[in-house]
Amino acid sequence: MWQYRELIKNLTIAELKNRYQNTTLGFFWSILSPLLLALVLYFVFRNLFRQEENFAINLLVGIMAWRFFVTGTTLSLMTIVGKPSLVTKVYVPRQILVLSTVLSNLIGSLLEFLILVPIIYVLLGSLPITILLFPVIHIIYFWLIFGVGLFLSALYVYFRDLNQIWDVLINILFFLSPIIYPLSIVPESLKTYYLLNPLTAVIIIYRDVMVNGSLPSLSNLAVIICLGAAIFLIGSFTFHMLQRRFAEAI
Amino acid sequence: MNAVVVDNVSKKFRLPHEKKTTLFQNIVGLVKRQFDYEVFWALRDVSFEIETGETFGIIGRNGSGKTTLLKTLAKVLYPDAGSVRMNGKVACFLELGVGFQPELTAKDNVYLYSSILGMSRREVNQKYDEIFDFAELRKFESMKLKNFSSGMYLRLAFSTAIHAKPDTLLIDEVFAVGDEAFQKKCIDKINEFREQGKTIVFVSHALEDVKRLCQRSLLLDYGRIVSIGNTQKVVDDYLTMLKGE
Repeated sequence: MWQYRELIKNLTIAELKNRYQNTTLGFFWSILSPLLLALVLYFVFRNLFRQEENFAINLLVGIMAWRFFVTGTTLSLMTIVGKPSLVTKVYVPRQILVLSTVLSNLIGSLLEFLILVPIIYVLLGSLPITILLFPVIHIIYFWLIFGVGLFLSALYVYFRDLNQIWDVLINILFFLSPIIYPLSIVPESLKTYYLLNPLTAVIIIYRDVMVNGSLPSLSNLAVIICLGAAIFLIGSFTFHMLQRRFAEAI
Repeated sequence: MNAVVVDNVSKKFRLPHEKKTTLFQNIVGLVKRQFDYEVFWALRDVSFEIETGETFGIIGRNGSGKTTLLKTLAKVLYPDAGSVRMNGKVACFLELGVGFQPELTAKDNVYLYSSILGMSRREVNQKYDEIFDFAELRKFESMKLKNFSSGMYLRLAFSTAIHAKPDTLLIDEVFAVGDEAFQKKCIDKINEFREQGKTIVFVSHALEDVKRLCQRSLLLDYGRIVSIGNTQKVVDDYLTMLKGE
C-alpha cells in the first residue's frame, strides 16, 4: 500500500474537489445540512426530552457521528462500480479506491467536528479536557467505517440492489442508536443487546469525551475496538476474495 | 532475465444465460436451483516468456483472447489457473486517460493520472514541463478537462503516459486514434522506447505495424497459442489460417 501513497492522496483530493467545488457554498453545505437537521430535531423533540441535560449538544454530537457513518458507507458502496475504468483498464490495488473515498469523508467529518468545538464551548461554558481523546476515537471509528465500506463496495459489484437494501438498513440503524433520544429510555431488559450496536457505543463515547468530560467506559471501548477490528477483517477478507472477478463483473 | 514469464495460464469467463445482477434475482435463482451459466475459456494453457528489451507482438482474430491475455498480464484479470510474473515497473495502455476526471483541471489530472501510473510527485514535478510541451497544451494547463476537445484529451493522456518511464509497456491498439501526425508521434515514441531497451508487449490487428516493430510474436486462436516465434513466420501462419477458412 505504501508505494501507492501518492495515488491515495491524489484520489482523496480529487474526490474532495469534486464534492465541494461545484456547489456555490461549497464546504459550508456539509456543515449547514447537519446543523439544520439538528435544529429541526431539536425543536421537534425538545419538549419530549426537556429534563435531559445538554440535549441540544448531545443531539449535535450524535448527528455528526452518525453522518460520518452514513456518508462514509453509502459513498464507498458506489466506489468500485462508480469508477469502472480504474478497475477494468489499469491495475491498482482496488482497496485504494475505497480507502480514498473514506479518507475524503474523514476529512469532511473532521471539519464538521471542528465546527462543534466552539458550539460546545458556548453552550457549556468550557471545554472538557477529555476532548483531546477525540482523534483516537475517530481513528478507531474510521477503521470500522472503512471495513463496512470494503464489504459493501465488493458486494455491490455482484448485487446491484444492495444500495436500496443498505438505505433501509441505515434508517433502521438510525432509530436503533441513541441519536434523537437518550439512552435512558431504552428498556433495561433490552439494554445488553442495544449496547452491542457499535454506533451506540461510538456515540456514547463521543458524548463522554466531548460533552460530559468523562473517560469512556471500558465496556464501550471494548465494543468499538473488538467490533471495529472484526468488521474491518471481515470487510477486507470479503473484498480480497471478491475483487478477483471485479473486472469481469462490472 | 525475463521481463514477462507466463506459465500455463487459463482464464474462464462465466456467460450467464440470463444475467442476475440483484440480490433478489439471485435468491429467486437459488430457490429455483438455477445456476445457468456457460463456461467460456478465453485462454487455455498459455505459456511463453518475453526477454527484457524485446518488442513482442500478439495477433489473432477478434475474440481470440488477445485482450484477455493483455489484461491478465496487467493484473486486471485474475488467471483461473497458472501464473503470470512481471519484472520491473509495468505500465499498461489498455486505454488512455484512465481515471481522468472532467471536473478537474488539466494540471490536476496530470498529477492524478501519473500517480495511477506509479509516478511519485517529485518525478512528475521534474517532467511536468516536458509533458505539457509534448502534448502542445501549455496554454491550457489550468482549464477544466471537460472543456477539452477529444484530440486534446488524448494528447494529454498520451503525453502523461509515456513520461511515466515504465520498464514494461503493455499496449492495446491505443494508437488507432488521433490524426496522422499524432499517430506518427506515437510510433516515434515507441521506437524511442525500444532503443532505450524497454520491453514492449503490443496487441494489434495492424500486421504491418507488428512486422515493423516486433522481433517475436505469438498467434492466438480460441485462447490457445497456435504459433510463436519470429514475427514474419507468425504473421505468415496467421494469413494461412485466415485463408484456410
